[in-house]
Amino acid sequence: MSIATLHRRFICAAGASLLATALVTASAFAQQTGPIKIGLLVPLTGPLATPGIDMVDGFKLFWEQAGNTAGGRKVEYVIADTTCNPDQAITQARRLVHQEKVHIMIGPLCGHEGPAVAQVSKETGIPLVMDTAGADSVTKWDRTPTVVRTAVSASQIGHPFGDYLYKELGARNVTFIGQDYTWGHEVTLGIVQTYKELGGKVAKIIWNPIGTKDYGPTVASIAPDSDAVVAIVVGADRIRLFESWFGFGMDKKFKIYGGYWMHQDALPQMDDRAIGMIGNSLHYAAGLDTPANKAFVDAFANKYKRLPSWFSESAYTASLWTRTAIEAIKGNVEDKDAFLKAMRGATVNAPRGTLKMDAYDNPIQNVYVTRIQKINHPAIGSVLTNVPIKTYENVSQFWTWNPEEFLKRGPYKR
Amino acid sequence: MRRYRVILALTALAAALIVPLVAGQFWMTLITQIYIYGLLALSVDLLLGHAGLYSLCQASFFAVAAYTTAILEVRYGYPTLVAAPAGLVAGTLLAVLYGCAVRTRGVYFILITIALGYIIWGAVYRWASFTGGDNGITNVPPPSVAGVSIASQTTYYYFVLGVVILCAFGYRILIRSPFGLSLRGIKGSESRMQSLGYRTTMHLYAAFVISGAIASLAGVLYVYYNRFINPVAASFQISVEVSLMAIVGGSGTIVGPFIGAGIFLGLRNWVSSFFEMHTAVMGIVFIATVLWAPSGIAGFIGRWRGDGAKTKDRP
Amino acid sequence: MHSGILQAINGVSFAALLFLLASGFTLSFGLMRVVNMAHGAYYLFGGYIGLTITRYTGSFALGVLGGGLAVIPLGYLIDRFLISRTGENHLAQVLLTVGIAFVLGDVALKIWGGDNLKVPTPIELRGAIELPGGIIYPTYRFVLILFGIVVGVSLWLLYRKTQIGAVVRAGVDDREIVSATGINIDRLFVLVSALASFLAGIAGVVGGAFLTLYPGAEWEILIYALVVVIFGGLGSLEGAMIGALIVGLLDAYGRWLLPEFSYFVLFGPMAILLLFRPRGIFGREG
Repeated sequence: MSIATLHRRFICAAGASLLATALVTASAFAQQTGPIKIGLLVPLTGPLATPGIDMVDGFKLFWEQAGNTAGGRKVEYVIADTTCNPDQAITQARRLVHQEKVHIMIGPLCGHEGPAVAQVSKETGIPLVMDTAGADSVTKWDRTPTVVRTAVSASQIGHPFGDYLYKELGARNVTFIGQDYTWGHEVTLGIVQTYKELGGKVAKIIWNPIGTKDYGPTVASIAPDSDAVVAIVVGADRIRLFESWFGFGMDKKFKIYGGYWMHQDALPQMDDRAIGMIGNSLHYAAGLDTPANKAFVDAFANKYKRLPSWFSESAYTASLWTRTAIEAIKGNVEDKDAFLKAMRGATVNAPRGTLKMDAYDNPIQNVYVTRIQKINHPAIGSVLTNVPIKTYENVSQFWTWNPEEFLKRGPYKR
Repeated sequence: MRRYRVILALTALAAALIVPLVAGQFWMTLITQIYIYGLLALSVDLLLGHAGLYSLCQASFFAVAAYTTAILEVRYGYPTLVAAPAGLVAGTLLAVLYGCAVRTRGVYFILITIALGYIIWGAVYRWASFTGGDNGITNVPPPSVAGVSIASQTTYYYFVLGVVILCAFGYRILIRSPFGLSLRGIKGSESRMQSLGYRTTMHLYAAFVISGAIASLAGVLYVYYNRFINPVAASFQISVEVSLMAIVGGSGTIVGPFIGAGIFLGLRNWVSSFFEMHTAVMGIVFIATVLWAPSGIAGFIGRWRGDGAKTKDRP
Repeated sequence: MHSGILQAINGVSFAALLFLLASGFTLSFGLMRVVNMAHGAYYLFGGYIGLTITRYTGSFALGVLGGGLAVIPLGYLIDRFLISRTGENHLAQVLLTVGIAFVLGDVALKIWGGDNLKVPTPIELRGAIELPGGIIYPTYRFVLILFGIVVGVSLWLLYRKTQIGAVVRAGVDDREIVSATGINIDRLFVLVSALASFLAGIAGVVGGAFLTLYPGAEWEILIYALVVVIFGGLGSLEGAMIGALIVGLLDAYGRWLLPEFSYFVLFGPMAILLLFRPRGIFGREG
C-alpha cells in the first residue's frame, strides 16, 4: 500500500485526495469552492487518550450528521495526535497549518496545550477554536485575536459551585481536595472564591499532583472538623479517590461533593456506591433533559454504545459552532476575519443549551450541578450518569463580577 | 577517503543551506528542531560515546537553561543578550553541582542521574508560582540583538545552523584533543588509566560539566525556537529520547546524534500521521539498533564504506 | 497523632506492593546482572491480564495467579532472545529494555485502551476494618500488607534456608565457581527470571486493584521500584524489604507533611545516599 493511500485512509474525509487539495488550494478560483479543511488536535495516545477519543467521536458524529458540508463546501478533516504534550501539540499544530494547509484548527484537549497551540494560531493567523482546553488565561489575560473558545474557562464552572456549596448544601467549613496543576487550581480556587465571599470557611486545601498513586494519605489528612469535602480531580485520580473514600470508611464520617469528579468517562470504573452523590458542577451533563440533548445522546449512544462525556459534547458543539459560522459567511473561510467575527457573533443551540460568546471570546452558558443516578438507555442498558439537580443559567466566565475588576484581581494561583 | 569526507561534508552543508529555499515551512521548522535535539543528543554522547557514562538527566540542564532564559525574558523583560547567557550559565552551574554523580560508575551512575533528573522535573512542575506549573511559560519573544529581532523562522533556521556547525567544530577539536583521548582511555579501562597516573574522576567530572554546557546551549536555542517551555522539557522521557537519538544515529560520532534526531523526530511526526502505534515503532527501531547495529546508523554507513574501525565499540 | 498512625499504615501497604515488584528486579540483577527496565511493563501486563481473567471468571484469586503466570513466558522470551544477547553490558541492557518497554506499553494500549481500569476486588475485601482508636482502614490494604509479609518471608526462607537458595546466593557471589561445581547455572537463571516475572505480574494485579491500570503506569511504578532498589542496594533481598519500607513511608509522610516538596522528599535522600553509599544500604562492594 502506498503512502498516499495510507494517508487517504486516515484522513477521514469525504474522498478527495491530498494532491487534489493541494492543487485546489493553489488556484484562486477554486479557493471558494474547494473543500474546507479543519484540523482537530487531540491526544490519541498517552494518559488522556480516552477523553481524546471521546472528542474524536463527538466530532465525527457531528460532521457525519452535517453530511460533511458547511457553507456549500465540502469539509475535510485531519486529526493530529498531540499526546497531551505541549511540545508535540505545537509541532502538530504547525504541521496542520504549513503541511496540511487547514483553514481552521479545533482543539487541543489538555489545559497546558491550550496556550501552546494559541501561540501557533498567533504566529500563523489560522483561527483556533479552542476546545476543550480550559486555561483561564486564554480568554482573560493572554487573549489572542485569532482564538475563540467554545468549551469552558476553568473557573467558570467553579464559581457557581461555591454558591451552591454555601447556599444549598449548607457547608460552612470545607476541606478541598484539589488537583495540583493549572486547571485544578483554577476550578478549585474559583469554588473557594465564591464560597468564601458568602462567608464560608476553608478548613484545608489538599493539593495532589496528577497521577497521585495513593489517595490513602489524602483522605487521612482531611481536617477532622470539616462539615463537607469537595473533590476536584482528573484522570485516574478520580477512581483512586473514589476507592479510597469508601475503603477508608470516609463515607461514614464526611459528606463529599464532586466539584469536578465523576464524569461520564470515569463512571464505568465506579460502581453503585456513587448513586445519589453530587458528581460535578459542569456546563454539560449527559442526563440533561432537553430535546436537543436527548437527540444528541441517542445518536451518540446508538453509534458508539456508550453515553457521551463532556469531551464528546464539547467537540460536537465546537464543530456545530464552527459550522454555524461558516454558514453565516457562506463558506468563505479564506476570509479569516469574517470567520472569526461570525464565530463571535453566533448564537448556537447546542446539546448543553443555548450559547453565546462574551466580549472576551468565552461562551456564556448554563452550569449544571449534577447528582449520579442509574438510568436505562435503550441502546446501552442500565448505566450511571450525571443528572442535573440545579441549573445556573447563563453563567459568565466572570460570574457576577465586573470583567475589569476580575482581570485586575489576576489569575487564580495557589 | 579524506577527500571523500570533505565532499560529503560540503554536500551536507549545501543541502542544509538550501533547506529554507526548497522545503516548506513545516519541514524547515522540523529540521530546526532536529538540529536542536541533535545538539542535546550530542551532549549525551560526549559522556556515552567517549567517556562510557550513560547520563539520564540531560533534560535537567536543557530545561533549567530554557526556563532561566524564558523567565528572564518574559517576567523581567531582560534582553536576549542577558537572558541567553544567563540560561547557559544556569544550566552549566547545575552540571557543576550534579557532577558529583561521577563518583559512581556503571548502573549506579545511570540510577543516580535518573533520580537527579526527577528532582528538577519535580521542581519545575510543582513550583508553579515561579515556573508557571504545567502551563509553562508562553510567548517568549524572538531573540533580538542590538535592536534587531530574529523573528522570521528562516533567519532563526540559519542562526541555529550556524551555532550547531560551530559547536560541531568545537566538539571535534575537543574529542581529538588529549582530553578526548584520555576519556576514551577511561572508557576502555579506567584502572589502566589510573595506573598511568590519570585522575580519572576529574576527567569525567570535566566531561560531565562540558556535556551539561552543551545541553544548556540546546535548551537556550530550544526556548527561542519554540517560544514556549513547560515541564515536559525536564522529563525523564526527554532524557531517554535523546539518548535514543544518539545511539540510533551512531554513538561516538559527531553526525550520529543529528542523524538519530532526524530519524526519531521524523518518525514521530510522520508515522504518527497514519499509524497510531508509533511508540512501538520507535521501540522496535531502538531494540534493533542495540542488537544489530550497536554503532548506529553512522557506524553502519561507516562499516559499509569500510572505515568503521573507529566506531566499532558498542554503546 | 491519629493521622500519623494512618499515614504509617498507608506507607506500609504501599511498601508491600513495592516490595513485590522490587524483589524480582533486585534478584535478577543479583544473579544475572540484568537491569531490566521493562519490569514496569511486566507489572502492567500482569495487571491487565489479571483484570481480564477476573472479569471473566469472577475470581480475584484466579486473576492474581493468572496475571503472575502469564508474564512468565513473556519474561522468558525477552530474557532468552533479547536480553541475553547484550552479555553483561548494562548500558546496552538499559537501552534495550527501555525499547522493549515502549513496545509492550503500546501493545497494552492497543489491547486494553487508554482508560483507567480497576481490577475488581471480591466483596469481602471491599469493606473497612475499624482499629482500636477509631481508625478505619480498608480491608484490602490490610490483606495487601499481610500478603507482602507472606511473600517476603517465603522468599527469605527460600533464599536463606533452602538448597536452591544457597545455590542462588552462591551464584550472586560468584557465577564461575557455581558453574564449575557442575550446577546448571542457566537453569537457575530461568528459574529466577520466572520468579521475578511472576512477582511483577502479581504486583500488577494487586496494585491494579487500588492504583488502577492505565498507559504510563508502568513507568510511574518502575521509578518507585528503582528508588527502592537503590535504597536497599541492587541485588539484595533484605535491601528490597527495607528499601520498600523507607520509600513507602517517605512517600506517605512526605505527601502529608511537605506536599510541596514530595518529589524532593523521595529523590533527594536517595541522591544523597547514592553519593555516599553508591551501592545502597545492603549493597556489597565490588
